[in-house]
Amino acid sequence: MAIDKAKKAGASYAEYRQVQIQSEYLSYADGHPDEVTNGLDEGFGIRVIAKGSWGFCGSAEINEDEIGRAANKAVDIAKASALLQAKPVVLAPVKPSFGQYVSFIEKSPFEISLKEKLDFLAHLDELMSRNTGISSRFGFLEFRRVIENYFNSDGSAIYQMLYQSGVGVSATAARSHRDRATRSYPANEGAYENRGYELLQQVDFDNNIPTICEQAVALLDADPCPQKVCDVVLDGSHLSLVIHESIGHPLELDRVLGSERNFSGTSFATPDKLGKLQYASPIVNVVSDPTARYGLGSFGYDDEGVKAQPAYLIKDGILVNYLSSRETAAMIGTESTGAMRADGWGNIPLVRMTNTNLLPGKDTFEDLVAGIDDGLYLVNSSSWSIDDNRENFQFGCEIGWEIKGGKLGKMIKNPTYSSNTIAFWNSCDGIGNEPLWRLWGTPNCGKGQPGQNGRVGQGAAPARFRNVRIGV
Amino acid sequence: MSHILDLFEKILPRSAADQTELLCETEEFYLTRFAESLIHQNIGRTDHTIWCRAVIGRKIGIAKTNVLNEEAIGKLIETAAGICHEQRDDPDFQSLVSSPKAPKTEGFVRATAKYTPLDRAQAVKTMATIAGKDKLKVSGMLQTSQTGLAVANSLGTRQEGQVTEIRVSLSASDDSGRAGFAQAFSRDADNVDLTEIAHRAVAKAQRLTNPIALESGNYTVILEPDAVADFLLFLGFLGFGGKGMVSGRSFMANKIGAKIMGDNITIGEDPFHPAIKYMSFDYEGVPRRKVMLVENGIAQGVVYDSYYAAQKEAQSTGNALPPDNKFGPYPKAMVMEPGTKSLDDIIASTEAGILITHFWYLNFVNPMLTTVTGTTRDGTFLIENGKPSAPVIDMRVNQSMLEAFNNAEVLSGERRLVPKYGVLMYVPAMKVHNFRLDKAE
Repeated sequence: MAIDKAKKAGASYAEYRQVQIQSEYLSYADGHPDEVTNGLDEGFGIRVIAKGSWGFCGSAEINEDEIGRAANKAVDIAKASALLQAKPVVLAPVKPSFGQYVSFIEKSPFEISLKEKLDFLAHLDELMSRNTGISSRFGFLEFRRVIENYFNSDGSAIYQMLYQSGVGVSATAARSHRDRATRSYPANEGAYENRGYELLQQVDFDNNIPTICEQAVALLDADPCPQKVCDVVLDGSHLSLVIHESIGHPLELDRVLGSERNFSGTSFATPDKLGKLQYASPIVNVVSDPTARYGLGSFGYDDEGVKAQPAYLIKDGILVNYLSSRETAAMIGTESTGAMRADGWGNIPLVRMTNTNLLPGKDTFEDLVAGIDDGLYLVNSSSWSIDDNRENFQFGCEIGWEIKGGKLGKMIKNPTYSSNTIAFWNSCDGIGNEPLWRLWGTPNCGKGQPGQNGRVGQGAAPARFRNVRIGV
Repeated sequence: MSHILDLFEKILPRSAADQTELLCETEEFYLTRFAESLIHQNIGRTDHTIWCRAVIGRKIGIAKTNVLNEEAIGKLIETAAGICHEQRDDPDFQSLVSSPKAPKTEGFVRATAKYTPLDRAQAVKTMATIAGKDKLKVSGMLQTSQTGLAVANSLGTRQEGQVTEIRVSLSASDDSGRAGFAQAFSRDADNVDLTEIAHRAVAKAQRLTNPIALESGNYTVILEPDAVADFLLFLGFLGFGGKGMVSGRSFMANKIGAKIMGDNITIGEDPFHPAIKYMSFDYEGVPRRKVMLVENGIAQGVVYDSYYAAQKEAQSTGNALPPDNKFGPYPKAMVMEPGTKSLDDIIASTEAGILITHFWYLNFVNPMLTTVTGTTRDGTFLIENGKPSAPVIDMRVNQSMLEAFNNAEVLSGERRLVPKYGVLMYVPAMKVHNFRLDKAE
């Protein structure tokens, strides 16, 4: 009905997305529940092309009258957009999609009692409380079920149901309010995957919580990060974020083409460099893979109805493709890589990351460390910043260890480093092997105006980089 | 919003909880985004979110939905109360709040509510035309919205209000991609001077040709109001809220009455300031009020919601966020007292320095030292002998924010209203010595 209404109002192309998100968030801090929230959010959005320009209207009221009103409004908005238009929007052709996709899950988190979930968090809290040096404890669980129905005027009709689960802890040791150290597990944002309640059993909290608590206490007396240029091994828990910031975002084709100039910024990886730019050393291969099992950025179809598909972004170190939409792909004469994703029903889709995976290499962790005479091993992110053209960046980590003569040495607190995207990735000369590789989830990727939250993944194993400036 | 309060009034007595709070935020939202002087996104959205906070003893349950009808809200109350039965006690929770009627919210302007898609497109065209005369293209956004808030609880609190806003953010750039930046905010769409915004961005863009690289070092900088607001926003998150006072993580903890900034720095939370006109009550229905945060450099106070106020034996200042927020209260309407010199005079009296338009991707490096990193963006200029002499390639910032407010030599007389992530800041420009900037690799 929405498609017909929009076409009747003057749309040459129309799509209807109806989304329902059920959510649950539980947190536990210092021995008692911090928050338990249950949420439901639903509505629809109609995106159209009329007079060659885009318009969109969404509403939380799902009924026939409101859908008709929104369809007309979307067309009105599109016609206003046409006031500033160079040429009509062209979409790269795709075959209409019919199908459904449901995340791989064993246990729906929404069928587990609140009591069982709070008991789980209480157990994690109790594990942290066993270390008397820990002054502040936090644990959380987050679950979402996203149901999406999508139709477009090309004939696509798609049903998707995604389950997303997250769990994590952090422990803080403090000598004074200024002298404190935090360790989190398994990453600073926890573990996030597209799977059910069984995720909780996949994370080994029982063996790792005592370790991170000991590390948090030890960090209070650890040496500060030295200032020098040296080699580093980045753990996957942190490298995931570096991939996200310095490979994922720069290769979003909408920002490459200037759409985000005023806010998120631009990209150095312009289309004239496609197929030529030595983005990274030849051992680096990066794939956008929304089909990866359990990836937080996995789906069956993107929010333009394009079927999920893996696509090399960097092959043997060379820039070979972008994350793209039908419109941006048409602008550079390629096919969409199926990366249009919207945050809920009330936002238009933007070009977003899916799972941006650095493919595993051949090295064991011992190989990576053995190849460094003087350097650092860095774990878990604590601070991040990259310029608006995605070149110069600075990261901080929760913890580091000195590497001397090919062996791990003393603990280092507040390690930081800075570099330049191209120089950094071209200095990569070792990547961990498959057993070390893991798909990390990022539940809070920000982009667009108004800010949209994206849920994406990055696959990473530890990797080695040469001549990096540390202690910045 | 009165129909929503009526609905809440009808449903509240059905709650089985000891105390119950219902809260509804409504939104009519319109946004036009443009790049290369062409509109590429144009959206409208109608939404509402309803939260229920139920309390049984000291157990709290929160549920939210965006389905606005009697049946859905009745179910919401049951869900929130059901959570309470499985919850543990929160020993720090005291009670929901019984609040008197807040003053009328003054921030609603009909002209803004009636702004049409065509109005927005024509506004963008006005700015694009100005930039086009100098062979520049514009990118940015123009947003208008109308937000309503209604709060009712079982202790008798009843509040309702509506505000409108228009936001404009503009980058003017040449073929090289170097951009000049300007932005504006108002409750009243008729009060936004699109021509002034466009000329401000264009004037910066015209001076960006052949930028030079500067070495890392400590510089005297002049932060324009947008850059001052970038720092103030982070200070607000980090230290001007009650949660940090309770946990001891705020730079204000144990410092009330102590000198933390320069003598010339006075910052207050003023939701009723004529340039700001915030909703007159918060998400718990507590009337907002003015709070002095820093006066002549001396720490005076922070903002509270009822939860953290109870733990510090203080009163809520009307700064509660929705009940499922993770941050705790922080200032939403900061006003910084101005100096007397104009920005032009400050530049003219600077022998050597760097003029910074605003910052990008600030993030904490060491929160306890208020150290942040980020980069300069969209107009950074070397000042020599009282004049901007050359554009500067953007530099990386590594700076303690408190130290910067301690090293403020002079503030401008003129102030600008800067919107950032739901926080409004009315701030002057600020000249700061010993400001750390690093050459970006």
